[in-house]
Amino acid sequence: MTREDIKALILEIIHDIDDEADFDNLQPDQPLRDQLDLDSMDFLDIVMELRKRHQLQIPESDYPRLATLNSCADYLEPLLQDA
Amino acid sequence: MKVPFLVIGGGLSGLAAAIRFARFNPEVLILEKHTRIGGLNSYFYRNNRIFETGLHAITNYAEAGDRKAPLNRLLRQLKFSRDHLDIHQQICSEIVFRGAERLLFSNDFQLITEQIATKFPHSSDGFGRLVTLLDSFDPFRIAPFRSARQFLADILPDRLLVDMLLCPLMFYGSSIEDDMDLSQFAIMFRSIFQEGMFRPGETIKILLDRLLDHYRNLGGSIRTGAEVREILHDGRKVHGVVLTSGETIDCGVVLSTIGLDETLALLHRPPLSGDTIRLGFVETIYQLQASRCPALPADRTIIFFNNADSFHYRRPDQPVDFSSGVICLPMNFAGLGATSKEVRSTHLASYDQWQARAADRRAYASLKVQTAERSRMVLEDIVGDFGQAIVFQDTFTPLTIERYTAKKEGAIYGNPQKIKDGDLGYDNLFLAGTDQGFLGIVGSMLSGVSMVNQHILNKF
Repeated sequence: MTREDIKALILEIIHDIDDEADFDNLQPDQPLRDQLDLDSMDFLDIVMELRKRHQLQIPESDYPRLATLNSCADYLEPLLQDA
Repeated sequence: MKVPFLVIGGGLSGLAAAIRFARFNPEVLILEKHTRIGGLNSYFYRNNRIFETGLHAITNYAEAGDRKAPLNRLLRQLKFSRDHLDIHQQICSEIVFRGAERLLFSNDFQLITEQIATKFPHSSDGFGRLVTLLDSFDPFRIAPFRSARQFLADILPDRLLVDMLLCPLMFYGSSIEDDMDLSQFAIMFRSIFQEGMFRPGETIKILLDRLLDHYRNLGGSIRTGAEVREILHDGRKVHGVVLTSGETIDCGVVLSTIGLDETLALLHRPPLSGDTIRLGFVETIYQLQASRCPALPADRTIIFFNNADSFHYRRPDQPVDFSSGVICLPMNFAGLGATSKEVRSTHLASYDQWQARAADRRAYASLKVQTAERSRMVLEDIVGDFGQAIVFQDTFTPLTIERYTAKKEGAIYGNPQKIKDGDLGYDNLFLAGTDQGFLGIVGSMLSGVSMVNQHILNKF
């Protein structure tokens, strides 16, 4: 998966959590949680969807690395290179 | 066969926990002892119609757009459509202390604020301060017991107001006598006074069926009539359960929703809360014939009342304490085209006193009839006469509740001692539901969801 594919995947998962989420003004280097009003329970959905769709088991200590759209791409790119 | 995730108990917390897990992995099994799901909020058939066992109202009403509200967070976590709830809001509820004062409240928090400003002017500023304090208070932080009564007494100069505010919150969720834990108070103040109450248009059965359909569509499994006799473990590690049928089911992780002592018993461990008092209740349902129906109030949904000189929320010395209680008029939710009318009453009761009469079936049956009569008279003083319109009535005693819900001593709010983090000291066995500390339909479902989030998802 390319970085752009990964970003699209994350947005697709978030849209699935909240179909009214507004991505128009989303800053890729700013925290997703603040911009999209996601709480920690919603955030867990992202982790679990990645596990369900791509068998990725992301340890809790790595959750901060999924904070922004850019950091998601940084973190997931090597993990999803064959996906 | 090994089940990765096993849920003991098909009440609302167990259902919610299982749905939450099944969203990401369909290998979940719910074991429910009874033939019907729902736990405390179930239903039964009598007199050719369906009756709800426990439902008065669902607390935690929230508008659809309020993302942070517990109700909407719950729906999001379960991916369960809000439309399935078929929300009908309460019209107006009331706290009535005879000979003293009355307070109205509704899903508009402004109403009770104004009522307090008018009727308790000395406490009006204090009430504002209370709301501000609660706004910044985190009730989910694990903290030792702190008396809500003392906390309120320090802020509100009117002792009567303290009792009147505590009365509905206690009747809808306190497992301890004459007080509440401050965290519990904060949660319930928000869910009842600040958010409010509603009910589904039809019966709880429709909601339970929809939850079960959703769960099954996600691939989850359920077995009813499957009572767990023993939880098998090797030190801190649980590896299976044995059913009363003798069947063994191997499993990965277990979430028990059947209560703290009830779970410990399956592990052959003594109860944690030795001789603490559990609060029992009696509930009577009066089904009324609409055509003969008297002029019951059309603008009151739930009435919390106290007729005694001072308000006591404790186990009575008699089978039933008729001096206080709750009246529910289930037809008085907005937009219900109710064809049948019903009145429900709840009072505190003593499990021991009912138990003592259980051996003599006739004495027990006659006490049930007397209880229904006496409760009706207490209610009629408040809502007007309806006795002549009754076509059917049924009374649940603490023994009935124990039999059908498996709640020890019929204590619907469970153990006075709560395990707020759900941690029972095992690697892969956790507690959710009533004894984890969240109450009500929304609360217990959030309990199931949050214990799965905290202990199970992405942890195994």
